[in-house]
Amino acid sequence: MKVFMIPPNSLILYDLVERFGHQPLSLMGELRDHVVEPEVESPPLNLSQDDIMRGLKYAGIEVPSGIRGRLAIWGPMVDEAEAAIIMHDMPYTFGCVGCHRTNLMLTYMVRRKGIPTLEVHYPHDDNEAKVMVSKIKAFLEGL
Amino acid sequence: MIVIAPSSELTPDQIARFIHSLGLELNVKETCYGANIEGPRDIVRKALSEVRKLDPNRIFSKIRAFPIGDERRCRAHHGSRPGFNQVEKEWRDLSMIDVALCAADLGEICELPPRPKQLPVKRLKEIADEVSK
Repeated sequence: MKVFMIPPNSLILYDLVERFGHQPLSLMGELRDHVVEPEVESPPLNLSQDDIMRGLKYAGIEVPSGIRGRLAIWGPMVDEAEAAIIMHDMPYTFGCVGCHRTNLMLTYMVRRKGIPTLEVHYPHDDNEAKVMVSKIKAFLEGL
Repeated sequence: MIVIAPSSELTPDQIARFIHSLGLELNVKETCYGANIEGPRDIVRKALSEVRKLDPNRIFSKIRAFPIGDERRCRAHHGSRPGFNQVEKEWRDLSMIDVALCAADLGEICELPPRPKQLPVKRLKEIADEVSK
């Protein structure tokens, strides 16, 4: 199954989804298709004009361009998702996953879609990590 | 992108040499956290499954957006590296995930202790009275 994850660029979640036999829908995989196209020349411009227009499907014109630009990439991934894992309280909320409003919007979109969803918290010690991994394992094996 | 957990005794050099020894048609680059490999999807998957066998719970992987040596990202060409802080944080925490995966392999049932109950209003009032005396 195609599993979407929040944060969409997480190494830990990507590995666990793949390890337990599913296809992770990741930001890196999606951007890979973008950055090898000649339309995108250099960072921070990882989007083309068409992407911005596609973002209008997920966020109105009055929404800040940063949110719309992010949703232009992440929105189609949510559309494609058959299941999702949401990780709360991740300590690295900067860079491409640093926009809190986009993260809230994305969580809302996933919940609204009604697909099987697991919500976990970023671990801070071994016990919390054990709980997180056992929940993810049980969830992915049960899909 | 192959990332070795800090708890592993493997080195990026060993990983890179091992991938070369497989004789697959892959582009391999040794990095400070492991190695990047690039090539046809099925060959990359084959290499990854072989590499994982070296230390199953301490070798992690994810896809990388920019190709190996891409001038927009590569440090040799003064490229920007906006995603590295996140990888660095997650890399540090891979030791915890390693412990958790080992526990999951052993079938350990893991649950957090129940959250402490909320303080009743009556007790809160008593505390407030005691303090204000």
